[in-house]
Amino acid sequence: MLATWLGAVLNGTLLGLLYGLAAIGLNLIWGVMNVINLSHGAFIALGMFAAYFMVHSFHLSPFIGVFAVLVMGVFLGMATYFVSLHRIISAPELSTLLATYSVSLVIIGLGTFIFTTNPRAIDVRMGALSIGGTVLPMTRVLTGLFSVGFILWLYYFLYRTWSGKAIRAVSMNRDAAELMGINTTITLALAFGIGVALAMTAGVLAATIFPFTILSGGGYELKSFVICVLGGLGSPLGAMIGGLILGLIENLITLQIPTSYVPFLEFAILVFILVVRPTGLLARR
Amino acid sequence: MTGPALQVEGLETGYGEVQILWGIDINVPYGTLTTILGANGAGKSTLLRAITGIITPWKGKVFFNGEEITKVSPHVRASMGLIMVPEGRLIFPGMTVLENLEMGAFTKRARTRMAEQMDYALSLFPRLKERLSQRAGTLSGGEQQMLAVARGLMASPELLIFDEPSLGLAPKLVIEVFETIQKLKEEGITMLLVEQNVRLSLAITDYAYVLAEGKVVMEGRGDELEESEEVRRAYLGV
Repeated sequence: MLATWLGAVLNGTLLGLLYGLAAIGLNLIWGVMNVINLSHGAFIALGMFAAYFMVHSFHLSPFIGVFAVLVMGVFLGMATYFVSLHRIISAPELSTLLATYSVSLVIIGLGTFIFTTNPRAIDVRMGALSIGGTVLPMTRVLTGLFSVGFILWLYYFLYRTWSGKAIRAVSMNRDAAELMGINTTITLALAFGIGVALAMTAGVLAATIFPFTILSGGGYELKSFVICVLGGLGSPLGAMIGGLILGLIENLITLQIPTSYVPFLEFAILVFILVVRPTGLLARR
Repeated sequence: MTGPALQVEGLETGYGEVQILWGIDINVPYGTLTTILGANGAGKSTLLRAITGIITPWKGKVFFNGEEITKVSPHVRASMGLIMVPEGRLIFPGMTVLENLEMGAFTKRARTRMAEQMDYALSLFPRLKERLSQRAGTLSGGEQQMLAVARGLMASPELLIFDEPSLGLAPKLVIEVFETIQKLKEEGITMLLVEQNVRLSLAITDYAYVLAEGKVVMEGRGDELEESEEVRRAYLGV
């Protein structure tokens, strides 16, 4: 009995960290630019396919290739910003919502055409770790550790580097930031780029655990919304805590009730928090 | 360079179809304090927006340090040393006081002198020194104004522009703000002040322009305008 619980807690923690990483890009873009990035899930799915091709075409471990995806994701995201968002960034939110939704449709449409929607999986055999009778695949352990690593990296970037501080300044007051000599256009593009890159990174890591299709990002996108509401906007650590809560809830609750109730529960939580504390459970204000 | 630090020539601009400024000529010589006065809606804010580059002029030119900057974007102007302490402070509320000051020194030319400017700014505002690790949003209105000025100084400005620095402050704090500007003037910092408080502004300024309906209707040395019947009647209510 105790071993079952321990297993659920360990699995929930590792998965929760991955959920946190998956949510952090949505959180960053939402918090900084006031844009709800509906292409978030599509970029997560792109990350999964990036993992697929690095394993099948380049025989590269996803845990090494993920860094290349992070860098490429920044550029891809910045390009997406200039193509789809730059001209409407000051327009009402509906415009940016539709723009990112269009990006999502383009990615998923092309993805369906090229990759079809047959499930794929990558086979990364790295052995397993046994803790107190719970056997954890190494991929799961590494995924959790890498997620923490990327979240801490973002925290360091936002709070300790000039570019990161510029992103925070722009999120608080775009005009003032411009008057301080910050190129707000590049800064917004960079924020979007990093948000997209982290989404793709989460996709790469998720692909080492679960099978996927081009549509698989959707589930993570929905979870990311719940996590943003749990952890509040604008804080990487909030996203991590929100992810952990969600991961633990999922794994502990399925000990008692069927897995198919999980989405229902998640969204019940979402609605409950939105009604009771619309600014987020852990938000400061 | 012998010309003025800032020179505005025949500036016309507005929003959409509405023209606000109708040919403004202004000079800010090095090492002086120049003031722009005018009632609400005279076009003061619009003029500052054109000077800092937030809106583009329809006609006319803006020169800074002898270089034409009419179409240069705001952040590039800031990196040249043209710095504004904006109306309503516009500090970064979620950052600490220290981080706010650091952001003031964001540009490359300011970063190299950050430590020096930090000491200087904190010596002017010792109260900020006690609150360096506090979130700026939790400061009082007067402290936020100090922070906005200190942040402007962090940029090692070649020209420091104040947009209505006394707006919304208690009378005692208004006097403090003007004392600070007076002090900066004695240090030889080139400044452009936009104010509604005519009496205090004219007392410390070298030269002033009076704006009405988007035109310069009067200009002169501070003490001259102080004596002027017209200014007294129109703006001092005496």
